[in-house]
Amino acid sequence: MSDLLAARLSMAFSLGFHIIFAAIGMTMPFLMSIAHYKYLKTKDENYLNLTKMWMKGVAILFAVGAVSGTVLSFELGLLWPDFMKWAGPIIGMPFSWEGTAFFLEAVALGLFLYGWNRMNPWVHWFTGVMVGISGFASGIFVVAANAWMNSPQGFQIEGGEIVHVDPFEAMFNPAWLHQSLHMQVAALQAVGLAVAGIHAYLLLKKKSKEIHQKAFVIAMTLAAVCSLLQPLVGHFSAQRVAELQPVKLAAMEGHFHTSSQAPLYLGGIPDPEKEEMVGAIAIPGLLSFLAFNDFDAEVKGLKEFPKKDWPPLLIVHLSFQLMVAIGSFLALVAVLYFFFLYKKSFPPWFLKACVLLSPMGFVAIEAGWVTTEVGRQPWIIYGFMRTSEALTNIPGMSYHFYIFLFLYLFLGAMTAWLLKRLVQHYG
Amino acid sequence: MVETLVNILILFIGASVVLYVILGGADFGAGFMECFVPKHLKAKQREVINRAMGPVWEANHMWLIILVVILFMGFPKAFGVIVVSLHFPLVALLVGIVFRGCAFTFRHYDAIKDETSQKIYSFFFSLSSVWTSLWLGIIAASLTRGLLTKNGKDAFEIFLEPWLGVFPFVMGLFTLAIFSFLASVYMIGETKDEELKAYFIRVAKRLNISLIVIGGLLFLSSFLEKRSLIQEFLSSGFAMFCLVLATLLFIGLWIRIKKDSAWLLRVIAAAQVSLILFGWFSITWPHLILTKEGAMSFYQAAAPEPTLWQLVMALVIGSGLIFPSLIYLIKVFK
Ligand code: HDD
Ligand code: HEM
Ligand code: HEM
Repeated sequence: MSDLLAARLSMAFSLGFHIIFAAIGMTMPFLMSIAHYKYLKTKDENYLNLTKMWMKGVAILFAVGAVSGTVLSFELGLLWPDFMKWAGPIIGMPFSWEGTAFFLEAVALGLFLYGWNRMNPWVHWFTGVMVGISGFASGIFVVAANAWMNSPQGFQIEGGEIVHVDPFEAMFNPAWLHQSLHMQVAALQAVGLAVAGIHAYLLLKKKSKEIHQKAFVIAMTLAAVCSLLQPLVGHFSAQRVAELQPVKLAAMEGHFHTSSQAPLYLGGIPDPEKEEMVGAIAIPGLLSFLAFNDFDAEVKGLKEFPKKDWPPLLIVHLSFQLMVAIGSFLALVAVLYFFFLYKKSFPPWFLKACVLLSPMGFVAIEAGWVTTEVGRQPWIIYGFMRTSEALTNIPGMSYHFYIFLFLYLFLGAMTAWLLKRLVQHYG
Repeated sequence: MVETLVNILILFIGASVVLYVILGGADFGAGFMECFVPKHLKAKQREVINRAMGPVWEANHMWLIILVVILFMGFPKAFGVIVVSLHFPLVALLVGIVFRGCAFTFRHYDAIKDETSQKIYSFFFSLSSVWTSLWLGIIAASLTRGLLTKNGKDAFEIFLEPWLGVFPFVMGLFTLAIFSFLASVYMIGETKDEELKAYFIRVAKRLNISLIVIGGLLFLSSFLEKRSLIQEFLSSGFAMFCLVLATLLFIGLWIRIKKDSAWLLRVIAAAQVSLILFGWFSITWPHLILTKEGAMSFYQAAAPEPTLWQLVMALVIGSGLIFPSLIYLIKVFK
């Protein structure tokens, strides 16, 4: 394995691992607070038990999120020292705000976890909400930092030196809004769906019905609302990418030749030799419309760009298609859910479907990030610095990769085991 | 202007280091204390540790993150050297942090508390506490050995030379001793159980003595590095002052330790450790790191002015949010 590949894989694994816990950390506090709120209002013990059950899960998952996040904050430097040296002063600002948000989150979490019967119940409730708000804020900040890598601004280069740094402009770069929005909705959606799936499973096992019915409705309502929003938000992302990173869009869509009335391909595999899509269903004009709201708009094809600036086509295309397929499907599921909610009864087959669907949101998140990150290649800072230029000059990166791969596999397995015990215990 | 901003940042760095050590460090020390507690006190001590550390656990570790952020945003040139030449110890540190954070939380939140799994969590918690403390000390020592370099030629120069040596290792032990000394002193006030309290007092005294002994070794081992810490301390009035005051405070500690003055003891211990840190800081001042290519001061490593501005703003506003909530947290639980 080359050092570059090993470093990229290390980064991908660390982030792909962390994002799962990050999404949970941004969403669970809100679910918890809803249940907690209902308990405080109705004094229904079911809601209290639910809050505490979720809280135990959050405590475990938060710890894993925190340690993997700590690893990440070092790893950026360990793997890409020149990137950080270069980019640190420019995009440090969202990171420093992120740090503040984490701090508040950690304090609020301590108060929430251990504060039962020690504080005024509503103040205690509010600390739970604060965990969610600060987690959410930190998510936005860190995605803004990532967005800067996709659409860098807020600095100038003179004679190889960075000058006129404007951290504010860098943070609020053209990509920050669509990326943050899409990510935050994705987190709510994916976690809502996963939690709903767990409670659907417990409902099917006919165990203490009422609590799981309540949990299912809270979580699935959140997931369903987000599932309806997400295709719109994703569409907004696609339009921004068309404008900001045309080569990424072309790779996502397998669009080789610049054309107006560009077709949208469903499925298929891009063939870089023949420069065409193989085995795809083409819907004429739809890409032009999706990207620019106009069936006749011209969409730039990959051929406009030198081959050395192309991202790996297959990965980007497939992961994008996977995300969109899941997103569209989940929107349908959401419609069904509201139908059954209105009818006030969920048929077992629907609950079973929810169990099967529970990991889908996370799959879409991973696919989406692969699209974004691999689609940015070969750049680490789009248009300014190549990933290969940023690599540390330290040899033996593959050991780094194996160490962390092992660590994450082990941690992931441990976490799954602990959650299984939690569900067993409460089942 | 740049200089003022850098000075403010140095204050924040100093504060983060001190707070990480006196707050987070005690958590590490607690893990070490679990290694040698007599069997019949084991369960009770673990109880105390969980109760005392649980609420502040996540918050205590944020200081390290803040430090990293200040370094890479505010002092990117130094950060670049550190992450390259200390790759090995940093990875070792991270592995320790991962195991520690998980073991502690898993032990507490595992829904089913059977003996075997609790034992395994505890084992990993203790082991990783010791491991991580050692590496923290090694990293701290390595910053000032003058062996950091971005241009290592072979594996030895790149991975090992910057941190390998007796002096960094003794510094690791010293760090472990500091952390567990703090933990033992803090815990005296955490329990009403007379036997346990007496035990903590005994441990605190022993660790106190070890601290002095290892501190002495640290001075000696510095000769192996062809430097003399004694001289470095002697040549800085402020460093000498810190050292002497820290040592004098030991007397106060020994006098008060039997009396019921938990908070006073905590303050004394924390003050001693802070003084040691100040002393250490002042002998390297104004250098942030010493590399093979020469010393790099805070001012040389600093980022451009607009960045420093934003960082200072973020830190000042952030502190305005963080400190009140932190104080509230401590009020609720202590
Ligand atoms: C639950 C997760 C989920 C779902 C259902 C979708 N997405 Fe997504 N998508 C993400 C989760 C995600 C993500 C993980 O959050 C990404 C990665 C980076 C980002 O900003 O969001 C992302 C990125 C991303 C990008 C690239 C943004 C960029 O590089 O700047 C586009 C164009 C879309 N998405 C479009 C869509 C469309 C048209 C969807 C239709 C339904 C869709 N996504 C569903
Ligand atoms: C948490 C969600 C994220 C996921 C799942 C993710 C995924 C990935 C993947 C798959 C790669 C490898 C791409 C390749 O080399 O082909 C990568 C690279 C990278 N990502 Fe992300 N990413 C995420 C968020 C972020 C954020 C928030 C940042 C920074 C602020 C970031 C910074 C980087 C860097 C520096 C690299 C290495 C350089 C590169 O390959 O371009 N990522 N990420
Ligand atoms: C390069 C990228 C990243 C870095 C350096 C990073 C850093 C960190 C750190 C240091 C923590 C621990 C905080 C604590 O102890 O409380 C953490 C946790 C967290 N991160 Fe990340 N992170 C990155 C990517 C992301 C992304 C892409 C998201 C979300 C979109 C995210 C959201 C969170 C959240 C919500 C937490 C709270 C902890 C939890 O809930 O488990 N992070 N991150």
